[in-house]
Formats: sequence, C-alpha cells, structure tokens
Amino acid sequence: MEYDVTIGIEIHCQLKTKTKMFSGAPTSFGRKANTCVNEIDLGHPGTLPEVNKEAVRKAVMACTALHLTIDPLVKFDRKNYYYSDLPKGFQITQQFHPIGRNGYVDIETKAGKKQIRINRIHMEEDTAKQFHLTKFSLLDFNRAGTPLIEIVSEPDMHSGAEAEAYVEALRQTLYYIGVSDCKMEEGSMRCDTNVSISPKGSGVLGTKCEIKNINSISHVGKAVDYEIKRQKELLENGEKVIQQTRRFDEKTGTTIAMRSKESNVDYKFFPEPNIFPIRLADEWIADIQAHMPELPEARKARYSKDYGLSAHDIAILISNKEMSEYFEEVMQYTKNAKLACNWLLSEVSAWLNTNEKTITDCDLQPASLAKLVGMIEDGKISNAQAKQVVDEMMHGEDPEEVANKKGLKQVSDTGAIEAMVKEALDENPQAIEDFKNGKNKALGFLMGQVMKKSKGQANGGMVNKLIKEELQKRIGE
Amino acid sequence: MIREMAKDTSNVEVRVKEAYEKAQALQDKLNAVITFVDPEEQLKELPEDGAFRGVPIVLKDNVNTKGIRTTAGSRILSNYVPVYDAEIVTKLKKAGAVCIAKASMDELAMGGTNLTCFTGPAYNPWDTRRMTGGSSGGSAALVASGVVPMAIGSDTGDSVRKPASFCGIVGVKPTYGRISRYGIIQYASSLDHVGYFTRSIEDAAETLKVLSGRDERDMTSSTREVPDYTALLNSDIRGKKIAVIGNVVKNISNPETVKMFQNLMDKLQEKGAIVDVYDFDNDMMRAILPAYFIIANCEATSNDSNLDGIRFGVREDGEDMEAIMTNSRTKGFGPLIRRRFVIGSYGLFEENQERVFRKAQKVRRVVVNAMDDCFKDYDAIVAPASGNIAPFINKEEDQDQLSDQLSDEYLIVENYLAMGNFSGYPSMTVPMGFTEGCPIGVNITTKAWCESEMFNIGLAIEEITGYKDLKAEVK
Repeated sequence: MEYDVTIGIEIHCQLKTKTKMFSGAPTSFGRKANTCVNEIDLGHPGTLPEVNKEAVRKAVMACTALHLTIDPLVKFDRKNYYYSDLPKGFQITQQFHPIGRNGYVDIETKAGKKQIRINRIHMEEDTAKQFHLTKFSLLDFNRAGTPLIEIVSEPDMHSGAEAEAYVEALRQTLYYIGVSDCKMEEGSMRCDTNVSISPKGSGVLGTKCEIKNINSISHVGKAVDYEIKRQKELLENGEKVIQQTRRFDEKTGTTIAMRSKESNVDYKFFPEPNIFPIRLADEWIADIQAHMPELPEARKARYSKDYGLSAHDIAILISNKEMSEYFEEVMQYTKNAKLACNWLLSEVSAWLNTNEKTITDCDLQPASLAKLVGMIEDGKISNAQAKQVVDEMMHGEDPEEVANKKGLKQVSDTGAIEAMVKEALDENPQAIEDFKNGKNKALGFLMGQVMKKSKGQANGGMVNKLIKEELQKRIGE
Repeated sequence: MIREMAKDTSNVEVRVKEAYEKAQALQDKLNAVITFVDPEEQLKELPEDGAFRGVPIVLKDNVNTKGIRTTAGSRILSNYVPVYDAEIVTKLKKAGAVCIAKASMDELAMGGTNLTCFTGPAYNPWDTRRMTGGSSGGSAALVASGVVPMAIGSDTGDSVRKPASFCGIVGVKPTYGRISRYGIIQYASSLDHVGYFTRSIEDAAETLKVLSGRDERDMTSSTREVPDYTALLNSDIRGKKIAVIGNVVKNISNPETVKMFQNLMDKLQEKGAIVDVYDFDNDMMRAILPAYFIIANCEATSNDSNLDGIRFGVREDGEDMEAIMTNSRTKGFGPLIRRRFVIGSYGLFEENQERVFRKAQKVRRVVVNAMDDCFKDYDAIVAPASGNIAPFINKEEDQDQLSDQLSDEYLIVENYLAMGNFSGYPSMTVPMGFTEGCPIGVNITTKAWCESEMFNIGLAIEEITGYKDLKAEVK
C-alpha cells in the first residue's frame, strides 16, 4: 500500500547571548555545574524577570532571515507545570503573541527545490539539565534561563531527506546570521520531529509520533525514515500507531518509545504579569533588518556569479561558514577561485581533520595559500610537490620558502628538458621501437626516465609534450 | 519623627537597642515578630548620613534579606535564608535604616487577619484580644506600639491599609511601579505593591522618598522622577474635590463609624475642600471581591509554584522528584493556602480561563474605568477604611461567620480597598477616630502618581484629628 507521509518539525535553538533570557547570569556551555546561575535562574522567591534586549534582537534577526512577519508588540506568557528542571514552576514563553508568524525557508533535495513554510517563531527560556542516577538525581541549573527561540514548521515535509534538508537549511541560516551556535550535538539546537502516515490520497492525517533526542543533522533523515518504515509496518500488520514520544537511538538507528504522549496536559497559559508588553520601535527593527549578515542563499548566488564555481563546490564551501569566509580572504590575493577552492576543500580540509583543528584556529595565512595557488598556476611547483609544502604552510610558514628549503622546484626551462628528453631517447632505442609499434607503455617509461634525470622537478606536462614531439621527429626521420 | 531621629546622631545605638529590646519585651503580648535581627552588625556599618540614619525599622517577613531568614509566614520557607537583598532593603540600608525584626504576616501574604502565620496570630496593641488585620499585621503592630517609626508591609488587596485602620496608624500604598518589587516574595504580581506604616504623614512622605525609584530588575517599576514628597507637604486643601464613596458609607451598619466619618468630612469642608457623595454602580462594587479573589489566587498559584522543596525551603522526603515536590507542598502550606491554590488552578484551566480568570480581568478593567470617570471630576476618593474597629480573635471557624459574606457590608465595605490594587493608584489609610478604645481609619485614594496630593489631604486630616504619633500602650 502507498502512504502519504506528513512531517512537521519544532526546533529549539539557543540564542548566542552573553546573559540569560530573563537574568543577568552568564550563559554557558560545558562550565562547572551550577556556576552560571543567580537567584533568578534558581527561581528564588521575590525574583522578577528582566527581558534580555540582545535576545530580542537576535529573535528579530531570525524572523527576518526566515521571512516571518514580526509582531512589534512583544508579550510573554507563562506555561505552568511542575517539573524538577523548571525552577519557577512555570516557563516564560510566548504562547499568545509569538514574535514572528508565517515565514518560510527554501530547501533542496535530490527531488529538487521546495519551500517549507514556518508557522511561528517565539522566544522562551531553557530549563535546567537533569542527570538521573540509580539512587538519586542531579540538577545543573547553568542552562536554566538560557534564551531560546522555538521555530515551528508547517507539516510540509514528506520524507527523511526533506526533513534533513529543512533542519540543515535552518541550521545554516541561523548560524550565518550569528544568532546561534546551532550545535545539535551540544544541544544548542534541538529538533522535535512529528511523523505521521496515512493511506495515499486519503486526505486524513494519521496518528503522529514525536521523535526527540536527535543529536545530529544526519540522524534527522535516518530517524524519520526509520519511523516511516515502522509506522508502515504497523499498519500493514493491521496494527495501530499509538501517539507517542519516541527517541532516536544512535546505535541501532531506530526510534524507541519514551512515553505515550500526554495529550491532555493543561499548561494554564496566561500573560506574564511581571513583564508589561514592550513596543519595539519601528526604527529599531528596521535598523536590525538593514544590517543583516549575508544569508547562505545570497552567498551561493554571489559565488556562482563572482567566482564561477560549480554548484557542488559552492554547496560544500557554504556549508562551513568559516571555511567560506576564509576562502574569500584567500581570494583577495588570487584570481584562481577554482584552484583555491579545491585546495581548501581537499588538502587543507584533510590536514585540519587529521590534526583536529578548524580553519579559524590553525596558522595558515590566506596570503600563503594564495601564493601556493599562484606557484602551481605558474608551473613553479607541481601539484605533487605542493602537497609536500602543506604541513609547514599550515603551521604558518611561507610556501615559497618551504619549497626552496626542500628543493622543490619545477623545471620548466624548455632547453633543459629538451636536453634530458634527447638523452633519454638516445639511451633507450628499444623504447622508440616499441612506441613505433604502438606500445603506448613506452611513453610512460620514457616519462619516468626523464623525471628521474630531473630528480622529479621537471614540469610533467612539458616533459610529456616534448617526448611526444621528439618521438614524432625521430620516427618520422 | 524620622527626620529628627536621623539627624540626632548622639544616641543612635541606645535608641536602636531600645527598639530591639522593646520588640522582644512585647513579643509575648503581640507575637508580631517572626525573626529578631540583632542590630549590632548594622550599627557598625552605618553610612555617614542618610534620611534614615540610625532609625530602627521593621520589615514584613516577605521582604528578602540576605543572610537573614525570610519565611513569608509559611512553614515551607521556615528555613529559607535569602542569597540576596530586596531592592528596598538596599535602599533602606543606604539611607542608614537599621532593621531590628522580620514581622509576622499572613501566610504568603494571603489573608486579611494575620491569623494564618505559621508562628501564630499577631495581636492588636490597642486590645490584644483583637486581631491586627493582615496580611502586614506584625509590621502594623510594631509601629502602633511605638517600637519603630516605620515598618515595611505589602499590599495586594488591602494588606497595609486595613491593618493601618485597625492599628491606628498611617498605611501607604503608592502607585504601582513607584517602589520596586524586586526581592519581595510575591503574592499576585499584578496587584502586589510595596507599602509601609508610619505614625505621621510627614514620616510617610519621608519614607516614600527613600523607597521610590526605577529598578532595572523590576520591569514594572517606573522611570518617573521621584519628587521631594516632604518638601511638597501642604495641608491647604481649599478647592480640592473629594468624592466620598456612597456605596461604602451607606452600607456601614455601625453608626459610630458613620458619625465619625461624617464629622471628619464636615471638618474637611470647613477647611475649604469640596466634598460630594459619589455612588459607583452597586453591582460593580459587589463584584470587586470575587474579581480580586480570582485574579489574586490565579496569579498566586503560579507565582508560588517555585515553592517545591527542591532548591530551597523545607523538603519532605519522597520516592522521586515528583513525590518530593508533592509532599513538600502538601505539608509546607496551611489549609487556607492549599485551598486558594486549588481555586487559582481552577480559574486558569484552559476550559475555565475565559469564564473565570479573563472575566475577572474584565471586571478589573470596568472598575478602573469607573474610577477614572470619577477622577475626571474629583481629586480624591475617600471612605472609611473599614466598617468597624478590629474584630476579636475567635476560633478559626468564627472568622468565616464574622459577617454575611454576600452582604453589601461585607462585599463592599470590607473589600472595596482592592480598587487601589486594581488601578494601581496611590491609596493610604490614616486614623480618624476611636470607639471602644480602638482606632479606625479613613482611606484616601488619588490619581496615579499623585502621592503628594494624597499626603496633603492626609495632612489636613491629621491636623483635624490631631492623631499624630499615636502610640498604643500594650496591656
């Protein structure tokens, strides 16, 4: 049986601010437990919330980048429930008046381009972290009160690939505009995915399951695809899908039931009385929107136009904002975009991976890479030779100096190469005979002989060309 | 008094210790203190000068004091030692005030009797068989008995202005946002006001100057400049238009109260004020208490959700986190509080909210609109602060039968003061007379930010009655 798959995604994204959503305590990741807290984060009696203006600014940026309509009247509400990770016994959120409504993001999968609608973005605060051990539980309040935006999509996705592309598109966009670290593995971006299936064309929505704890983008697709398969199998076996919250299990690549969905929790939402509605000045919003950092889509178009790179190269380059920005720095010193891009994505990236570094924390100078590109381009050094310079260059050394020191120089002097070619041919009459008889192998043999004579420094292209010419000459005689 | 005291640098230590000792000596009779605060340390750190330099004061026990136990009158917070000072504590310290005690209050400030404190009732200094009123009863008792010239209270429905009436002192609740609420253990955020008690209008003006001002940590606090309230004091009320709430006066059954009040109004007219009877819609007046009760309980049930025994306060054991929270809350609160939380939750449930909580908000809006209408023609709204002197403390069950709770006398006379909390407008009670040896007060409410106007009418009344620096001799 064929099925319609419906996927909606809620993303919680921590905003990159110095302090928390409603308190002056510092935000943190990986700091010693309970060191980044004050009386507000711990929900002590008598404390009051103070809205973080920077968080509002970042939320406005997110709304702008994702094409949402901004509500200039900022209001907050309380979501009431008792849980040990919720210090105040309520979460301050925006239930009734989200800061943004009705936006979209463009995604691209193998099936083509598509627009995914975003229902709303609202601001709220994060909870504490809990660690349940066998005999007791531990609470770390460092995360409590960290500013969050929740981005709620419309149920516009229909496959694991689309879900994954959507999350990646959001990640890229939010990361590019600098509102969040968007690290799924560290929890600064969290993804709750709702999946339901129904018989094709039936027009009714099936019972949905929510998948939590997906901690990397590549798992989004896997989790969704597994869930679709699981639900199909249930229906095909005549069973029912039960509304559940499930988690993705990395090891098995499956989703596992956590709890049946508490559909009837009444959160008793009501307006937060300690924060009067805040009117955002039109000029303030306009100023933020006028100074938006470049979005990935715009950068893609620019790279295609300015640098003529292939769509594939651009996609890879753009997916890493820092690499892409580094590339632009290199381009200030060279015109060969293709070669610079290749080097960044191959040799440089490989080195960074091996050495567990990023482009921002290594010593490679953009001018040096550009210089190396120029040396290759000018035939001063061969590709193979250039690879021998990488390590030193990554440690901040000048590629030309390293090449000189190592004696890596490509001989491109026609006279010198010609002499070596003649010498090699003179020494190997059999090879000429072989070539005459159609044995192309002879050409390779002769190449090797010449390269040996040049100690590997002869320009391979020129050697090849000159051997052929010399052979033709001699055969023709 | 406060001014003279602050200027008198000669016997600071003596008077502060006297106050401290007097509070202790009266504890048996008044039970007005939850925690005594030894002034020794504070005396060492007194500023060079300040409007309250070396003046002993008392704080209601819902005012957070760093390092000093703050219980809000509840068992669940009976071991709570705050890690920070309330904004007003910082301000008072800077002004040189010396806190000698944390005063008794109704549990979590929810109540009008001061009988629900986990340390037992506070007793009225004029007649210890009677209640102080609440919820700021301990503070009121300590000012009325002359222990301190000023005590901080908080006012969500009438929690400063009612005990002020019962204890024969000045009780002030300024405009919402005038004084920062940061560090005051909340009852109902949209209705909560920091208030205070003094024994004279001048002290009331002096105190407001110290407490007021914008606090970045309380987003509802105002950026308005703080006037020099003392310098602006002027008892000339010629031409001031006063609206007497007819609905209140005509529903008071005690003729003594009415006579006393009429007398006072006559004298105000003699001083040149224009006094008219102003009738609000009677059904609206009857709706004040239920609307107040719903809003206050709904906000309170949410505000007090942080009291779960997990991070602070008294924790009861349990198998898991949820059980710990449930047990701590069940044992930590008195029965009245638990009942109010249930009512509050009921009002907030999605299926009820429109019909209960939101409707109460609409009533609140209607009341404020009616007040604004009145203020188009009048400078102040005035009425007796209560129909009678402080009631006797009987057994708990008698309290509910104190009066017919659906009567106009109960609904309107005893509960109209919440109008000041609905609107956030400045409101103050000053003593107007005595019957059976016990005081009763009159309430004055003015337009937003018109505290000076309110003080001036209060000053005129003080001049008429001569009730300045009234002190009860506790028997």
